[in-house]
Parts: sequence; C-alpha cells; structure tokens
Amino acid sequence: MTSPDMTLLPNGREVPFADIEATLARLARDGRRRKGGPARALTATVVVVGEHDRLIDAADALAHLSEAEGVRAILISEGGETTPTARVTEHAIGIAGLAPKFLNNAVAALRLSSLPTAVWWRGGAPESLQEIAHLADRLIIDVLDPSSAWSIVDTIVEQSAVTDLRWTRLTRWRSVIAHLFDLPEVRSVPVTRLSIAGADPFAARLFAGWLRSALHWGTDVTIDLRPSGSSDQRAPLDSVELDADGHHVSIARRATRGCLRAEIAGRDASTRVVPLGEGTLTAVIGEELGVRTRDLAFERALAAALEIPAWQ
Amino acid sequence: MDVAATNPLLDGLRIEPTPEPTVLVIFGASGDLTNRKLLPALYQLARGQRLPAQFKVLGVARTDWTDDAFRAHFHDSLKQFAGLAQPDDVSTALASDLFYVGGEMDDPALYSRIAAKISEPGWPDGVLFYFAIPPSVYGDVVKRLSEAGLVKPRTPAGWRRVIVEKPFGTDLKTARDLNAVLHQHLDEPQIFRIDHYLGKETVQNLLVFRFANGMFEPVWNRRYIDHVQITAAETVGVERRAGYYEGAGALRDMVQNHLMQVLTLVAMEPPIRFSAENVRDRKLDALLSIQPLVPQNGENGGAHNVVRAQYTAGWVNGKEVPGYRQEDGVSPTSVTETFVALRLQLDSWRWAGVPFFLRTGKRLPKRTTEIAIQFRRPPLHIFKRVSPTPIAPNLLIVNVQPDEGISLRFEAKLPGSRMQLAPVMMNFRYGSAFGKPVPEAYETLLLDALLGDPTLFARHDFVENSWALITPVHQMWEASGLESIPTYEAGEWGPPEADHLIQADGRRWRTL
Repeated sequence: MTSPDMTLLPNGREVPFADIEATLARLARDGRRRKGGPARALTATVVVVGEHDRLIDAADALAHLSEAEGVRAILISEGGETTPTARVTEHAIGIAGLAPKFLNNAVAALRLSSLPTAVWWRGGAPESLQEIAHLADRLIIDVLDPSSAWSIVDTIVEQSAVTDLRWTRLTRWRSVIAHLFDLPEVRSVPVTRLSIAGADPFAARLFAGWLRSALHWGTDVTIDLRPSGSSDQRAPLDSVELDADGHHVSIARRATRGCLRAEIAGRDASTRVVPLGEGTLTAVIGEELGVRTRDLAFERALAAALEIPAWQ
Repeated sequence: MDVAATNPLLDGLRIEPTPEPTVLVIFGASGDLTNRKLLPALYQLARGQRLPAQFKVLGVARTDWTDDAFRAHFHDSLKQFAGLAQPDDVSTALASDLFYVGGEMDDPALYSRIAAKISEPGWPDGVLFYFAIPPSVYGDVVKRLSEAGLVKPRTPAGWRRVIVEKPFGTDLKTARDLNAVLHQHLDEPQIFRIDHYLGKETVQNLLVFRFANGMFEPVWNRRYIDHVQITAAETVGVERRAGYYEGAGALRDMVQNHLMQVLTLVAMEPPIRFSAENVRDRKLDALLSIQPLVPQNGENGGAHNVVRAQYTAGWVNGKEVPGYRQEDGVSPTSVTETFVALRLQLDSWRWAGVPFFLRTGKRLPKRTTEIAIQFRRPPLHIFKRVSPTPIAPNLLIVNVQPDEGISLRFEAKLPGSRMQLAPVMMNFRYGSAFGKPVPEAYETLLLDALLGDPTLFARHDFVENSWALITPVHQMWEASGLESIPTYEAGEWGPPEADHLIQADGRRWRTL
C-alpha cells in the first residue's frame, strides 16, 4: 500500500479519466485568476512511465519544470487497472496502475496535439516501450539497468529520437574532451589507451563507445573500465584518462566543488576547470527536453558501447 | 578519415563549438564598460564552456595596475555585476588567464609591451582587440597597433580582429573618416562594430519569426500592414553620461544605430541564406529605401517627419526628478534633444505607403523597447449592427525588453448571447516558454566576435548610410538656431508635437 506522502500528485484532484481535460482547463483558469497574467505558451508534453516510486521524484522534477516551461506532464505507472482514476494538477496528470496494453491509448488521448511529445522512460515492460515509441517524438531512457531498453533502440530510432539520460549527464564530460581536442596538436596524436573510472558501468561504456565511434578507434586502443568511488547525481564518472604519444589527457571530477578539471600533460600542457552544471533531475531532464532532433552521435556511441564489455 | 583536420568530438555535441585559441586584448580595461559588461560576460561564457581551450585576456589602460590588481578588479566586477559573492572555481581559473599592461594610448612603448606580451610562448596567435575606449582615440590606437605590427598575425593560422564600440562617428563625415582610418590598417572583415541591440534575443528572433514561419511573411507587406511603430523608452536620465550626451542627443544615441538596425530587420527582404553578408546586404537595401527625412527642395519638410524635445522636471519611477537642463554636466541653455519621434517612408514594393514611426526618449514613464506591427482593419465590419464597438486592428508586438517575447492581438467574441467583440492577446514569452535564462547581449556578441561571425555587427556601408539619413536632420536643427525646443514633463510619453506627428497621418501612438 502506498503511504500518503508517496501519493503521486498528492495535491491533485482525483477525477475519472474522461474528466481530465475539463479539470485541467478549470485548474488553469483558476491558476491564472490567482496569479494574474495571461495564459502561457505551451511547448511540449512529457510522458513519464515507470514504477510508482520512480514517478515521485520525476513528478517533483517536472513540477519545477512546468512552472518554468509550458510543459504538460503525464505520469503513468503500470499495473492492472483498465478504468483508472487520475490525479490532476494545473500542469500534471498522474495515472496509477494502468494496464500496459492501454498505455498507448492514454497517451494518445492526453498528449497536446501539434506539439512535441517526449517519453521519459523510467521503467516498464520493453513491449510497452516499443509501443509508445510510435507516439513519441523523443524517447528518453532513464533506468538503472538499460540493457533491455538499449537492445531495442535500433528498432525504435526510425520512429522516435532516442537518448539515455546518462548521455545528458555525460554532456559536460564530452564537451571537456572535445574542448581539448580543439587543439590540433592534441587530436593529431593517436590515442593508445583509454581508462575510465566511475560508479555507473553503463555510463562508462557509453562514454567509451562515444570516443571509439567518434575517433574511429580499432582494437589497438586499449579500453580499461573500472568501478570506483561513489557517483553523485551530477557525475556518473570519476575520471577519464587518455594516453597518447607525448600527451596524457586527464579529466577528473573535483568531488566537493561540482567542477571538472581537465589537464593536458606533456607537450603543450594546459589546464581548464569547468562547472559540471546543476545536475539535478530537473536540470538534466530540462536540458534533455530542449533537444528535439535525432541524436546520431548517441546512436553511434550506443552501438559501439554494446560491443564493449562491462566490468565484472 | 582525417581525424586531425577537424574535431570529430564536436559532432552532435549540444554545447556549441568553441572559438579557436584567442588572446582578447581589452583597451579600456579599467573602464566602466569592461567592469559592467565585458568581465561579467567573459565569466558567463567560461561558465557555459564557450571560451577557447587556450584563452588569455590582456587588459590595457592608463591605470597603474599589475596583473594581480586586474584580477582583483575582475573578481570585484563579478561580485557587483554577476552576483558572484565569492570567487568560484570557474572565476579563479579564468582569473589566472588575465594579464595587464598599463600605459598611455598615444605612447608607442605601450604597443611594444603589448606585442612582447602576446608573443610570449604559449600565447595564441588569434587576437581580438576590444576598443572599450572613447571613439576619439580609435584612429590613433589602430594606427599605433598597425605600426607595431599587431594587426597582422605572426603565423598563417593566426588572425586579428577589432571590436569597435559605438558611436561610429557623430555624423556622415566623421563616420566616413573613421571608416577610412580603420580601412587604412584593417580589412572590413576584421572590423566588428558592436551594437548591443543586435545581441538581444528578440531582435535575432525577428529573423526566425519572419523567415522560419510560412504564415507571417505573406502578410508582411503594404497590402496587410497599416503601419509600424518602434519605441525605445528609458526611465533614466543622462546619469553620468552628460558629457557625451550633450554632444549626442537621442537621434545620434539611439536612432542612428539601434533603431535603424531594428527597423531594417523588420523591413528587409528575405536573404537567400542565413549568412552574414546576405543578411547585411538585405538590411542595407532596406536602409537605402528609406526616403530622406529632410527633402532637399523643401524648407520645412523635415518638420513633418521629425520631432525633438527635452524633458523638464517631473516624476518617474516613484520619485521626483530634475529637468534635463538641471542635470549635472548639462548646459542650462542646452537644446540637446532627449526625445525624438520620426516618421519614415520606405520606397520599396513591399513598404510603399506604410509609414514607420520611431520614438525614443529618456525619462519616459516606463522602460520598454518594442516593435508594433499594426495590420489593416478588415475591409468590411459585418458586425457593425450587432456590435457597435469598433474593431481593433490586429497587432503584432515584438517585445525587445524588458519582457522579451511576441504578442498577437486579435478580435474574439465576448461570451454571451449577444454578438459582442473584444480584442484578446496571445502571448509568447521567452522567459516562461523555454524556462532558460536569456543570455546578455554582450555574451552573444563577444562570442560571435571570437568565432569570427559578423552577422550581428554593423558593416561600414550600413553605418555610413544611416548617418546619411540622420545628418541632414542635425544640419536642419543647427540651421534653425533655436534657443529652445519643445519639452515634455519627465514621466510623460513625450511632447504633444510627437502626437501631432502621428495624428497627422491618421494614426496614434500605442499606449504602453
């Protein structure tokens, strides 16, 4: 049984599914009266699918986002309900325990027409993922073990732009390395070894897959992934090191400062310190929702990552 | 694949490409602009990871500072203008790349020291000079840079660019002279004339709004548009700029540069592609289509097209304020205009017969900049019998500041059994729609200059032709020899003469 504080959208109104749109319209009108000002432009629908507990923090993140952006959030947990009731707030709809086979129907009825729909996949049956991809402009995988989701990405990408929220969290790491590779003298030297340490093996594989695919590495580049330390929300990795002839490139997370320190040792030594960014779930999903197009770099990185063995 | 030729790791990276390794040399490093705008912009660019992998800043000014003093000044600037109470990792790292050279701008030894500094090992050969100094010394500084060999790169991969702050001259002759001096030592592609209005998100969005949507451009012409109003209103007075403003006035300070840039973005024809030269060519076309404000054969022709005025004591932003002539540094007999309203006609197929009204002033009731496109009314008011209320014309409003966005006004039926009409507004606001902070104009423009993208910078021919339009008005005013000009009370929307100007055309200013 769900405890009261774990109720999805505890401040929402409980309404039958058929009354959701009317209730949303009423709440929006009341909200405008209360706050004053004109109606806001809407920009997207975000559908979150996952187990109940994982929807709670997603709801929290989207509540912040909906306040800032014109987003309609639809949160759905799978179960056995065929005639579910919903809880509705001004910006969000929560449906608990919906039978997976009706997931599509619910999303089709509730998504904002003519605007992009993003599906934030936080868990559920792989078949449902494949089904819902038809309705999504963008599919964001965000599960602890993405093995099954990753395995079907290549069947989805033609219908929906796919990414993994890990990829978003790795953006700063990627950009730091890319930044250093702006220097011709760095990118002209072949890399011989890549070492990645971190707490999330999937993030490490994805990062290694990205470098392998982007730099066209063969098997001559040794890839060493190893577990280390504890990761926080902002950083799925602890360090990345690249060995090349005459250069050693290292990027390390500065645990207490929310920054990355990137260093080139050897010829043309250079150092940069960059912020990791806010890193909260709201910030990361907000960044991801700003992307609307297919991410070929991710797709190539994932394809390469699937060939890299995970650490034991 | 040749990995060394380009950076393959940038492919698909959501953070935009960063500029090539650069040395930014700021002339006027101890000045107000550097303090308020440039140093905070550099910090924000560093936070957003938009600065080059190798980046150095060399401050140049008369102030007797060391590198450490410049760095301390940098941290003070961030505290005051970037809300950074304490240095963080990013500001500390950036500060370590700040250096300083002091000296007089007319001293050749200063340029030798600059040359020695930027030639040190590890300093990149891409150099961006930023002139945050009075325009009167631009020519001399460029000449001395050239004599010191600083406007030519040391290596084939190197480059040199110069950012020049406004005003670009004070009339057509001085603008031409300044351009001539700059062109003696620099090629036009090396010169970036900054106009911070062009760095504003909404101004750039005008291009997207017009040319990335299929529904607006077909009605963006004389058949559907009645007139255009561009307003740039400030609540502030001359503040600490009386010395400059007395010689400038609203027409030079706002119209010749900012408002002309905005007007041409509204009026330009579609460029064939989004490239710097195409966009700037089409803007120049629009500028050239503007009819002279002072007809050469009409003695008082300009009086119909231009109104100037000066604020007197009044009440703004909840407090009493002095009149312009009572401001510190202002002559008690000054006839400098603090308000100007203009009526412009563009002689083109698209705009023939559509007046563009511009107004700008200081000590107006609120701070706002907007472009209002007023459409023609429907040809027939079929609801006249049942709804006697006149139909409000459709209006498209582009808010440039402070609340950036776009609004569209259209008529709707009031709920009820009667057929009553009322105007409603549909609003898009950058601040709420995307939930992301809008970058400061100086961040955008500084980054563009670092990247070598001149799209948002004024080209020499635009500057000169804009002066060619404005200078005859100044000449007409000077010839009039008036000892006083119309006035408006601070806190009002300009003088009655400005109302008469637009009313003579059967229109009226928007109430903002």
